[in-house]
Amino acid sequence: MANTGRAQSGARTFFKGISRSRESSLFLIIFAAFLLLALLKGNIFLSLKNFEGITTGITYDLLMAAGMTVVLILWGIDLSVGAVLALTSVITAMLLRAGVSIPLSVALGLLCSLGAGALNGFCVSRLKIAPFIVTLAVMSVARGTALVLSSGYFLSGLPESYTHISEGTFIGLPIPYFVVLFVLVVLHLLLKNWKFLNQAFYVGTNPQSAVLSGINANLVTFVGYLISSLMAGIAAIFMSSKLAMGFSQFGQLAELRAIAAAVIGGASFTGGSGSILGATLGVILIAIISNGFVLLNGSPNWQQAVSGIILLVAVGVDAIRRRREGRE
Amino acid sequence: MSDISTTTDRSLRGRIFFPLLRAMGIQNFCLIAIIILVFGGMSLFVANFFSPANFEVLVMGFIFEAIMALGMTLVIISGGIDLSVSAVLGFSAIMIAFFFKARFPIALALACTFLIAACIGLFNAWMTNTLRVHPFIATLAMMLTIRGLALAISNGENVTSDFPNQFLFLGQGRLFGLPFPIVLFIVLAIVIGVLLKHHRYFQQVYFIGDNSRAARLSGIRVESFIYFIFMLSSILACTSGVLTASLYDNASNSYGINSELRVITAVVLGGTSIVKGGTGTIFGTVLGIIFMSIVYNAFVMAGINPYYETIVIGSILLIAVFLVEFFRKLETRIQ
Amino acid sequence: MGEMLLQLEGISKSFVSNKVLDAVSAEFEKGKCYAVVGENGAGKSTLMKIIGGIYRPDAGKVLFEGKEVHFFSASDAIAAGISIVHQELSLAGNLSVAQNIFCHREFVNGLGFINWNRLYLEAEKIFEQMGVKIDTRKKVGKLSVGMQQTIEIGKALSLKSKLIIMDEPTSALSEKEVDHLYGIITWLKDRGVTVIFISHKLAEVFRIAERIIVLRDGVLVGSEETGRITRDEVIRLMVGRHITDLFPEKAASRGDVVFEAKNMSRKGVFSGISFSLSEREILGFAGLVGAGRSEVARAIFGADKMDAGELVLRGKKVRIGNPREAIKQGICYLTEDRKSLGLFLSMKVKSNIVAAALQNFVTRMGFYLPRKIKQQSMRFVQAMEIRPFDDEINVMSLSGGNQQKTLLAKWLCAEPKLLIADEPTRGVDVGAKAKIHKDLRALAESGVGVIVISSELPEILGLCDRVAVFREGTISAILQNRNLGQEEVMRHATK
Repeated sequence: MANTGRAQSGARTFFKGISRSRESSLFLIIFAAFLLLALLKGNIFLSLKNFEGITTGITYDLLMAAGMTVVLILWGIDLSVGAVLALTSVITAMLLRAGVSIPLSVALGLLCSLGAGALNGFCVSRLKIAPFIVTLAVMSVARGTALVLSSGYFLSGLPESYTHISEGTFIGLPIPYFVVLFVLVVLHLLLKNWKFLNQAFYVGTNPQSAVLSGINANLVTFVGYLISSLMAGIAAIFMSSKLAMGFSQFGQLAELRAIAAAVIGGASFTGGSGSILGATLGVILIAIISNGFVLLNGSPNWQQAVSGIILLVAVGVDAIRRRREGRE
Repeated sequence: MSDISTTTDRSLRGRIFFPLLRAMGIQNFCLIAIIILVFGGMSLFVANFFSPANFEVLVMGFIFEAIMALGMTLVIISGGIDLSVSAVLGFSAIMIAFFFKARFPIALALACTFLIAACIGLFNAWMTNTLRVHPFIATLAMMLTIRGLALAISNGENVTSDFPNQFLFLGQGRLFGLPFPIVLFIVLAIVIGVLLKHHRYFQQVYFIGDNSRAARLSGIRVESFIYFIFMLSSILACTSGVLTASLYDNASNSYGINSELRVITAVVLGGTSIVKGGTGTIFGTVLGIIFMSIVYNAFVMAGINPYYETIVIGSILLIAVFLVEFFRKLETRIQ
Repeated sequence: MGEMLLQLEGISKSFVSNKVLDAVSAEFEKGKCYAVVGENGAGKSTLMKIIGGIYRPDAGKVLFEGKEVHFFSASDAIAAGISIVHQELSLAGNLSVAQNIFCHREFVNGLGFINWNRLYLEAEKIFEQMGVKIDTRKKVGKLSVGMQQTIEIGKALSLKSKLIIMDEPTSALSEKEVDHLYGIITWLKDRGVTVIFISHKLAEVFRIAERIIVLRDGVLVGSEETGRITRDEVIRLMVGRHITDLFPEKAASRGDVVFEAKNMSRKGVFSGISFSLSEREILGFAGLVGAGRSEVARAIFGADKMDAGELVLRGKKVRIGNPREAIKQGICYLTEDRKSLGLFLSMKVKSNIVAAALQNFVTRMGFYLPRKIKQQSMRFVQAMEIRPFDDEINVMSLSGGNQQKTLLAKWLCAEPKLLIADEPTRGVDVGAKAKIHKDLRALAESGVGVIVISSELPEILGLCDRVAVFREGTISAILQNRNLGQEEVMRHATK
């Protein structure tokens, strides 16, 4: 729901966010899961290595969940984020291997992800094709292009300074953490306080009313998809930097994890609601549960299944909640 | 009213062309024309294209999606969609391999695998009917879950087990000179096609897809029918999975990845509208399947990088959806 | 005195706190044709839906063929022999005529396979009886609306319906098709089938119905044979009610011209629309549903297109391509369906009030000014008495009247130069009605041009200084509201 009454500062917004029921229950659940795992497998769970593993993994998911939240608020969906991530990584890697400077390669890679977002945004807002079809098609086009360009190989041999992007630290923590935090906070604030982006809530709640109230629904929708793809692009830069390669199979099923997290965080498939903070908590929750599953079970192969089950549960609970509220 | 009359037009146009056009609809007609064109073109430019050996390769390359497309047609006509079929395919392959590993007799292994698939379909339908989740979201979530389960259960590795020889017949054997999967597909296509066109129970799907409210008013049990078609879709996906495992004598959890996209594209090409339910035929879907097989085979034969496939399929899907809607609006505009 | 088919005794129905039908009693004989008339919201279609099993009455009895019946669904009513032909036809466009007729009752062999020949034959038999030529193999979607309607009637017949209810059957038909429908109704009557239809078109009612039943505000105020009542008397029954002081004082004088429309037209929808509006006067758009009033309003607002026509606002010609441009120019349109087209139900009152004027509440960089928003929204909440006086709650939880006030507040917040209010008090209680009327009058007094579209004649006459009467896409008259009577307006509105 749109919050046009602004809290005075970032900190105030944060605490106001907590006081709303959904975020606070998520906090509780995360806290409970944390305690549980600490008790059961404390020695492994609470190790630095484990934490690093979890946090690196979620940097990418956090970005894409945030982007997905924006699209969901607009009553849309973006199934192409995983493929866009792969494509961006491949293009950036190719440019780097061809000797193009790092800043330029990164810029062009991000430009490419924006291109995908523009295609999505255009088809949805102007051509009025259903978002899931558009992004499904763009997903396969992007994935296919990544495959073609890389012939399926890992594109490694990237300049060392490139890997510093993800390895470099600032006060002991890797740079990506700060970038992600920055992006999330900025997106959260913009969504709440910047008229243009906040209009997304209006558009997603009732597109017709929005148009009849003079809101440029098409433009807002277009930008929403741009943001989603851009998030995937930024994630791609970090991923290719960390793993020192571009690969066409990156981001498989990332879109589904992003949807799960966003929905857990309060986004609805019928638009008009969603929160960056909630999506962030959703990502953390899924990550902890998956990690817990792996620790308890010993097999990393269960991660995907767990995400899927969580998504199913989130979808089901969301549907029940909506029925109770009478909003069909 | 737009009636292309043939009673007084005794020319070739009147007696063959127009009735044919009317019978199958503009879209299917164009599709056949394009298929013939592409086919002809390929025969000229690519050696050995017009040969039985290549035909077999061509058909086998798409046969598993073809089987799933039959079920998907029904689901889309009813106004829904089933994105989980690809996951069910992979999962069924893994499942049956496990059952064989546990030394189940063939019949039991098959029965159990199909039962599990039916349950997945049941769950999809339950989410759609009772929880009122949009089938797209429900089956999308299911796809992630089932793929994940397949991955987890197989521990990320292929499941090589000793498939009994009789089982291998399903994927590798031949019947009447054709590979068994092709024969099975032909039988299924004919049976389902005939049922869809002539059986009262199956005809309901058109009413439900066009106007489910009116269908309910006429006494049709919409919910129980939805259960039926989702279960059918999953069972057909399971069939494909079992056949795949049999064909490759191996079960990998990567079977069928992205095939849901190809299946939907084939169905949409055949004239089934995703946007508005209540239209579509098995005949159209078969045409769509043929088209997709040719495209796929063309890549292989012409030596085009197979990785281009996904780009092309994605673009075809976009164009196909657009065209279906275009033709639909054109037909309503003609009146 | 014929045989009694249907008897209604004391039927009452309320939706939430809104009483829609109040102790309606009526009798319907076999083989006769009845027309139910009344203004918008009089309760006609609710009554039909109760007969047809879609709604259940809160009180009263329904007797069908002498026995009391309780229908729990439309299927129950259909099984008993009552069919409704709705305005939105419920046929499957991609299937043949015969399939639609026998939906779920197709003729099958032992295994369930449809016997097509028999299906087409039986369908043809039905249409033969009706004297209609139709190819039962044709896809329904390809046939005209009139033909589709005939098919629905054929379906009702095949279901052995003894009572067929039709809701506004002629609204989408051409003249020839209307004649054709009359023929069918006559044929039905001869076969002993009772027909009840709802219509706004009095000429047709008098032509085809044997008895007219008039509803007003949920009460049956008249039931008479068509031979024994005049058109004017029917109109008087439809509209007659005392006007309470629901309405503020009218304008004493007019000021300069605020807005002018010159020759607006849109093919098939409206043509030759010209009118002017001056300061301090409220102009009303009267007419039947479908006469084109909302379409003209939407065209002015840029929500629909217009083939030709000129709009002049405060002496300046304006070209409006979309609602955004309209609002920028100062033209605002309060939509007739507040829930789906005007409000954002799941959002706060505050968010709704500023929705059309967001650019007035931001800094240069586009960031919200929360204090200004809060101030303005509370100002409107207080001034317009939107209860409970809290702008942080969701609009969904407000009563109809307060929701409508919120919608009005949204447009007032956008500082319009011209406001077109479409059905500003629909579904609103009397208290809120009076307040909205006062606010509209105050708005006009402040120099804003105000046009009110309404299907409630007392509202038009009580609120507006001049009335433009619409009829089938054109303005048939612009009347000064000096001793203007409702009958006169209705006369210009109907044919």
